Amino acid sequence: MRSVSLREVEVVASLVLAALLSTCGGSNGSSSPSSSSPSGNNVQTVVVNGGPTGNYTNGVFTNVTLCVPGSSSCQTVNNVLVDTGSFGLRILASALTLSLPQQNDASGNPVVECAQFVLSTMWGPVRTADVKLGGEVAGSIPIEIVGDPGFSTVPAGCSNHGPPQQTQAALGTNGILGIGLFINDCGGACSVAGAGNPGFYYACAGSGCQIIAQPTSNQVKNPVAAFSGDNNGTLLQLPTVSASTSSVSGSLIFGIGTQSNNTLGSAKVFTVNGAGNLTATFHSNSYPSFLDSGSNAYFFLSSSASGIPACSTQASGFYCPSSPVNVSATNRGANGTNNAVNFTIDNAATLFANSGENVLPSLGGPNAGSFDWGLPFFFGRNVFTAIETRNTPVGTGPYWAY
Amino acid sequence: MPGLCVVTAMRTISRAGVFCTLLLAAVAAFPTLGEDVASVGADGVRMNAQVRVVVDQAYSVHQLSSPSGTIVREFVSPGGTVFGLSWQGPFTPDLRQLLGTHFDEYVQASQSDQGHIAHMVHVESGDLVVESAGHMRFSVGRAYLRSKMPSGVTADALR
Repeated sequence: MRSVSLREVEVVASLVLAALLSTCGGSNGSSSPSSSSPSGNNVQTVVVNGGPTGNYTNGVFTNVTLCVPGSSSCQTVNNVLVDTGSFGLRILASALTLSLPQQNDASGNPVVECAQFVLSTMWGPVRTADVKLGGEVAGSIPIEIVGDPGFSTVPAGCSNHGPPQQTQAALGTNGILGIGLFINDCGGACSVAGAGNPGFYYACAGSGCQIIAQPTSNQVKNPVAAFSGDNNGTLLQLPTVSASTSSVSGSLIFGIGTQSNNTLGSAKVFTVNGAGNLTATFHSNSYPSFLDSGSNAYFFLSSSASGIPACSTQASGFYCPSSPVNVSATNRGANGTNNAVNFTIDNAATLFANSGENVLPSLGGPNAGSFDWGLPFFFGRNVFTAIETRNTPVGTGPYWAY
Repeated sequence: MPGLCVVTAMRTISRAGVFCTLLLAAVAAFPTLGEDVASVGADGVRMNAQVRVVVDQAYSVHQLSSPSGTIVREFVSPGGTVFGLSWQGPFTPDLRQLLGTHFDEYVQASQSDQGHIAHMVHVESGDLVVESAGHMRFSVGRAYLRSKMPSGVTADALR
């Protein structure tokens, strides 16, 4: 078991290093973010606020610079949502003035994507760009341009998976920066023809759009995985938020254990199953569990299972306890790492009532089938997302660490 | 109803009730939420699916595994009505097919304006409840009609 031995050596080395750093820096060894702002070519500033529409709840946003591949013809798009629950960069056509080259299929027809999110779809052409974040560059990668007027007709086969959300008013962002565990947005399922193809990629000729087999190399992909360095994952670092507020800032740091500002320290590593999930246990029942900075709240359990009253129509889809409720659930990785997560849920109708506050650390809602650790989970934690197949000081991705 | 024929032929008694397994290599189809299970053939979602039928006292469960790997379970009342469904797998199933006439209602309810932009998992509209969660490459959810739930069955059974 040579690889295991090597990994153990690496773990020990990492722990020793962490202990040394802890001693030198006077750190208390926790994995919560430090108070000073990190700096370096691998650091991208992020902000949690109401976003471009001013009323987005618990969204973490950043700027993304796009360039025509190999050129200095560039544009910076602001208010792009940082999402550890998806893979690939999607920009609203309405936020883009730069003309980027279209990706075509083998027959020369433009490739258009139906990106399937759990609550909605995004339809638009696949174009190629150099993507710049901090001092890092993902050279000539496929991205999706959402809501392009040149491809305004969404096929029924796409919208049947969920309503298309194509505008800033509907989405509350200018785009989505998907930096989750995987490299490609669909993966192998979309690279084959036939009934098993879930229908992310279409080729559009004059007669209409047809689902195609799209090789993974041509799929919209996680920009971090395409950097020349610091490309094994990310660290999202947000401060503790003890009460509702209007704005907080933090850092998205590229790479895991590649520079002094992205060491794992005392963070625990949780490997995932094939679907990219951990397991969360609450009162002896287990659920698929995941860390999703693109989710607006803690979404977990049914109202009957959690014992927390659901809101009436005023804040339907969220929890409305009469007073704050403390909840504890245990995350478990495929590697057996356990961690009890303690959090507080407050009354969503009350939280929503103050329109100036969009950072709501105690917002939660029902979700009977899984534990969705949304953005409030990230407050006060260093959350590492290790990308599939990439080596890190403690082993190969995919994994979460916090 | 081909499922029930096979159920009769293959049934075995177990502690939890009567369990029956039906494996279809050929094309299978399934009905939509709120419709009668006998309307299977007219609905048109066709999957090269493996179908398993589990019959309990209060309801039966039709389980289909789609070619892209998502498992759909349909919960059928003793009267033959699909009162609920659930799914889990890498991709969200065709919700218009599964929800049928309730799809548009779901879409409208999911986009209701509450002053804040916050995308909730749990969507209600009158009799209809839909929950859709997950992340890219993982989808889990359920839908049910409150008025069609058999007596004594709660939504927590729909997993």
